[in-house]
Amino acid sequence: MMGARTTRVLRMAVVLAAALEASTASALDKGAAAPTFDLPGKDGTVQLAKYQGKLVYVDFWASWCGPCRQSFPWMNEMQAKYGARGLQVVGVNLDAKTDDARRFLAETPARFAIAFDPAGATPRAYGIKGMPSSVLIGPDGKVLYEHAGFKEADRAELEQVIRKALGGAQ
Amino acid sequence: MKARIFFLLIVPALLAQAGCATVQPWEKGKLAKPEMTFGGDKLETRYADHIYTSREAASGGAGVGGGGCGCN
Amino acid sequence: MTTSRQPPQDLAASLLAAALLLPGVQALADEPPQGGSISLRYLDYADRQSGLDRIRAHSPSIAVTAPVASDWSIEGTLTADDVSGASPRYHTAVSGASHMQDERKAGDIAVTRYFRRGTLTAGAAYSTEHDYVSRALSLNGTVSSEDNNTTWAFGIAGSRDRIDPVNHVVVDEHKRTLSILAGVTRVLTPNDIGQLTLTRTNGDGYLNDPYKLFDNRPRSRRQNTVLLRWNHFVDSTGGTSRLSYRYYSDSFRIRAHTLSGEYVQPLGGGWSIVPELRLYTQSAAYFYYDPVYDGTLGPPFPPGFASAEPNRLSSPDQRLSGFGAVTAGLKVQREIGKLWTVDVKVEGYEQRGNWRLFHDGSPGLAPLHARIFQVGLTRRW
Repeated sequence: MMGARTTRVLRMAVVLAAALEASTASALDKGAAAPTFDLPGKDGTVQLAKYQGKLVYVDFWASWCGPCRQSFPWMNEMQAKYGARGLQVVGVNLDAKTDDARRFLAETPARFAIAFDPAGATPRAYGIKGMPSSVLIGPDGKVLYEHAGFKEADRAELEQVIRKALGGAQ
Repeated sequence: MKARIFFLLIVPALLAQAGCATVQPWEKGKLAKPEMTFGGDKLETRYADHIYTSREAASGGAGVGGGGCGCN
Repeated sequence: MTTSRQPPQDLAASLLAAALLLPGVQALADEPPQGGSISLRYLDYADRQSGLDRIRAHSPSIAVTAPVASDWSIEGTLTADDVSGASPRYHTAVSGASHMQDERKAGDIAVTRYFRRGTLTAGAAYSTEHDYVSRALSLNGTVSSEDNNTTWAFGIAGSRDRIDPVNHVVVDEHKRTLSILAGVTRVLTPNDIGQLTLTRTNGDGYLNDPYKLFDNRPRSRRQNTVLLRWNHFVDSTGGTSRLSYRYYSDSFRIRAHTLSGEYVQPLGGGWSIVPELRLYTQSAAYFYYDPVYDGTLGPPFPPGFASAEPNRLSSPDQRLSGFGAVTAGLKVQREIGKLWTVDVKVEGYEQRGNWRLFHDGSPGLAPLHARIFQVGLTRRW
């Protein structure tokens, strides 16, 4: 038989555990129109509008972000695997000094579009809450999915989401 | 007693509110450098704590959990 | 004597930083480390007083950290202290100093579980030497705000020590401590981060130094600390200043202030230098007695010894006197490739009664000088 005090402590513990595990709320709701961007890139300018009709995976990254180093080989794999089916990966770099980004790219090459946004206007428009963050934008230009962080365990889940989104597309 | 109340209530509140604007996740490049974190090299900090608790009366501050010794 | 440990947010940050040669990640404060590391470190300590060598210590240690599965990490350290030399039996008296030689072995282990918005770390420590065995357990947790700009830390730890001095002044004595910690770390600007930590420790049991004469301390000690830290990145030089202030007070009525600062300056090519300065001042314990001895009995007897109550509290331990101390040091560090870091550190320490700040220090004690040398090597994977 639990006393009132024990029940209260347990309830607090459950709330704390839930708070620790709760997903972060996103600034952009699913189905909202993805903010456009027009940024200088590794090979010419990168405009979101140019990718209308494709499934766009926008990844916000920086040279100082550890998980970003892990995510690049995976993003290369996704672009290679699903590029023909209409996936376009766009990595938006947020380094204050673009030189740091170029050094990172020299060591960890990207076989997808890279854009530079040192001023940070794009992540602000997208309401980014962590590094790295990724946003999946449908062919209609609407936000389908958002994700913060990149762990080993995330690869399978993210690939599933991409496949599902491509499944219905022509 | 008054000083204790100040530290326990006011300073944490001030610290939690300090900083004029929220720092965005992509602005944390400099904060990511090892020298910008607290603690530093674990063994180096351990040696320093050990030496100072063996030669001075004050101990602790940054953490709890180390064991003791009969250090002379 | 207790040694302190780092709270989990430092632990997580240190693990993370250690895993990457280039800037470590703090953006996602509660991310498990990307890779592990092994560190070896060696300490050579020697102090002098009254023109004579006192204590010499050689201390090799090893630390290993590793991520486990996707949400866990583990770390462990092992240390062996080889300590020898002589300590005064009372005040800074040279004659009759107690000579000693001992080897202390200590180890500790900590396991951390990473949650989306926080961490939880359980730790255990064990230390053994000829006359002293210490066992400790700890539990630390952190909770971060959604924007990761504020992290709250909580900790609780306990230790149980057994004391069996080689001079058999007492036999099989015990000491227990219980500590709690609460702290907050706050990102202030893209170049600044601050931290406030409060700790409270209650100690009970045998707190005397069995190797000092007339050392009779209370059987309980309550200690409080307030620690403020601030790291600032200097854009113009690429260097980082690391400042800290600690206020300490305890039930022995000792009050201490510690102000320390170091400046990390990268020099290019993986080199960096770190000068450091530490200023310390403390008041004397209320039962500490100055080197003024009984008129009839002479040293080391405290005044009025013959007629005093037998269990009167007293101590002639210099560590409980009023003094000020200064440490100055320099560390040179080199990062080699992406995986290796090597560093060398040299420090000088001096403690003097008349260096006490704001009030008079305890008179009649010889200054203490120490030189400290360290070399470290870390390999990441």
